[in-house]
Amino acid sequence: MPKPVIEVEKLAKSFGDNAVLKDITEQVNPGQVIVVIGPSGGGKSTFLRCLNLLETPTSGKVAFEGHDLTTMDTKSVNSLREKMGMVFQGFNLFPNMTVLENIKLAPMKVKHADDASATKQAHELLQRVGLDDHADAFPDSLSGGQAQRVAIARALAMNPEVMLFDEPTSALDPEMVGEVLNVMQELAKDGMTMVVVTHEMGFAKSVGDRIWFMADGYIQENSTPEKFFANPETDRAKDFLSKILM
Amino acid sequence: MKKKIGLLLAMLAALVMMVGVFGNPTQVQAADNSLAKIQKKGVLVMGTSPDYPPYEFQATVKGKSAVVGMDVKIGEKVAKDLGVKLKIKSMSFDSLLVALQTGKIDMIISGMNPTPARRKNVDFTHTYYKGGYEIVINKTDKGKYKNKDSFSGGTLGAQTGTTQYNAAKKQTKNTKVKGMTSQSDLILALQSHKLDGVAMEKPSAEAYVSNNKQLAAIPSDFSMSSSATSSAIAFRKGSTSLVNKVNKTVDQIKKENLVKKEYLPAAGKYLKTNTVNTSMGHYWKAFLTGIEYTLIITVCSVFFGFIIGVLLALARLAKGNFLKSLLRWIATAYVEFIRGTPMMVQVMFVYFGLGLFVNLPALTSGIIAISLNSGAYVAEYIRGGINSVDIGQTEAARSLGMSNGETMRFVVLPQALKNIWPSLGNEFITLIKDSSIVSIIGVTELIYQSNIVRSDTYRGVAPIVVIMVLYFVLTFTASRILNYFERKMQHA
Repeated sequence: MPKPVIEVEKLAKSFGDNAVLKDITEQVNPGQVIVVIGPSGGGKSTFLRCLNLLETPTSGKVAFEGHDLTTMDTKSVNSLREKMGMVFQGFNLFPNMTVLENIKLAPMKVKHADDASATKQAHELLQRVGLDDHADAFPDSLSGGQAQRVAIARALAMNPEVMLFDEPTSALDPEMVGEVLNVMQELAKDGMTMVVVTHEMGFAKSVGDRIWFMADGYIQENSTPEKFFANPETDRAKDFLSKILM
Repeated sequence: MKKKIGLLLAMLAALVMMVGVFGNPTQVQAADNSLAKIQKKGVLVMGTSPDYPPYEFQATVKGKSAVVGMDVKIGEKVAKDLGVKLKIKSMSFDSLLVALQTGKIDMIISGMNPTPARRKNVDFTHTYYKGGYEIVINKTDKGKYKNKDSFSGGTLGAQTGTTQYNAAKKQTKNTKVKGMTSQSDLILALQSHKLDGVAMEKPSAEAYVSNNKQLAAIPSDFSMSSSATSSAIAFRKGSTSLVNKVNKTVDQIKKENLVKKEYLPAAGKYLKTNTVNTSMGHYWKAFLTGIEYTLIITVCSVFFGFIIGVLLALARLAKGNFLKSLLRWIATAYVEFIRGTPMMVQVMFVYFGLGLFVNLPALTSGIIAISLNSGAYVAEYIRGGINSVDIGQTEAARSLGMSNGETMRFVVLPQALKNIWPSLGNEFITLIKDSSIVSIIGVTELIYQSNIVRSDTYRGVAPIVVIMVLYFVLTFTASRILNYFERKMQHA
């Protein structure tokens, strides 16, 4: 049994009186693609953001490679975040920098890579997501699909061990969803450990190793895609699937 | 006599007293070693307000601008008799008393008359000159006016707060009295017939008349006490030994009638050379100095103001533990306080108030005050700019492993700056103009220089037009440069 990359123990998160995450204990093993699905407002995004401490958990433990992030000093949290790339629904590219500069920024400022090697790496990543010809473009000239692929390349530039995807295709026009999912699929094939919050059931089925079904602040089901989509155990999951599948 | 006990002075006196509470200046009742101290220092610093020919004024001596006049001659004689060097510090008349009390200068020779009110705060020597008052009129009105009583139904002008201003108010009937701060403005008003006559001291009146063929002088016939018509040298309170020593010099000056025999004629010579060429081009050097200092003050203040602004903005955005809350509170209080008090008062506070603890030169004080002031405004712009950057930008940067500081520096601030660039540009252009405030502490920037040129040339409007154009050239160039960078920042 390999050592888990991420371990979550009794995780809870409230915003004021509103308990969004109630009691979550799960783990992510190396190379696994976890797809988190569930109804809106079920705490999926909050859960993902607790994994790299963009949200501070109210209680419980989040450990990365055995190190508990919730008890760490800020500096160590910063350096562990490098190892968890994150892709946002809204891309969050830096609008005042070119595509290339977007990708080079963190390696150069955080890892102190020299310009030449950072540029070389950025071009390689852009080739990987099929956008090397847009290296000198500014983000606002890109389509949504292109922007999200750049965002993925930017996250990969830090050589993360885990990639977190927060509804990466939700803000895209339908015809652009495919290009982004393809890149993600390639990543999964290369063995990247991934936690993906998404509504793309097709992707969940074909790429996911595990489905975590989340609702009402709990992970209600943790099973394989085959089993989950064919034979959901809980009523909550059955209800959810009946609404989204035709 | 110049006798401006204005509101400013009262305000400053209060300020000096306030500062005195938490760091008592030593001068007041200290043992009298004033004479020994000056002699040990070897330098006697004379404060004067060089806009009052022939007492003191700015003139070009051997190609350089210098303060000359009969008071300067007296200062030189005093220093010589004490066996020390004379150093002259120029500042506005309003500032002289405070400068003396705060140790910026050692004595005042600036046509100052030893009124009882002033005697409370400083020690005066014997009087060295007794003047009188005349009224300057347009030559075309000669014969129409004889003395102060001829202006019934008309308007008399005088320098605000001076003895002659009070006399004109009290000793005339049916006459309007209009006060202005500057002698040259009054003459200008006279020539444009807004005034019928200007009351001023005899030597000044004579200087104006001899330099301007359209003017004439008539006797004023004001009845005055002698303390209101004579000038004396002021020293810090309690400087008995120094005053006694200088009194010997003053007595000698009076006995030998040096003022009339030597000093006034010598001052008159400069006045003559001054009037040979009163074209603005002749004074290009004065204006150039003005531009130079205006730019020095502006550039330095923009630079330091920006740094202060960024730090304040970050402090105001600090959230978290007690220390951070305290920091935020201090920054907020600072911003509110600076925005709630006039910059002029801040400039005077830094120069005179802080002057009690550290002796800062006027230029440095000006830059410090304006930077501190500008910082408060810049902080608010920057805070707004930071808040305008989408939180997703911060999250993206943090998720890449960047620290809080790195995120601020490389991601948020550049975008905030772009958003607030037009407001910042506005602030910088305002600063070019606001730098003029430091003229009150004697920094030779554009306004100060133009005042010098005005009192030098007896021309009221031309220097104003010149600096108006110069200011516009400066601000317009600055706004072009800012626009260029704004365009550079707009991508795609």
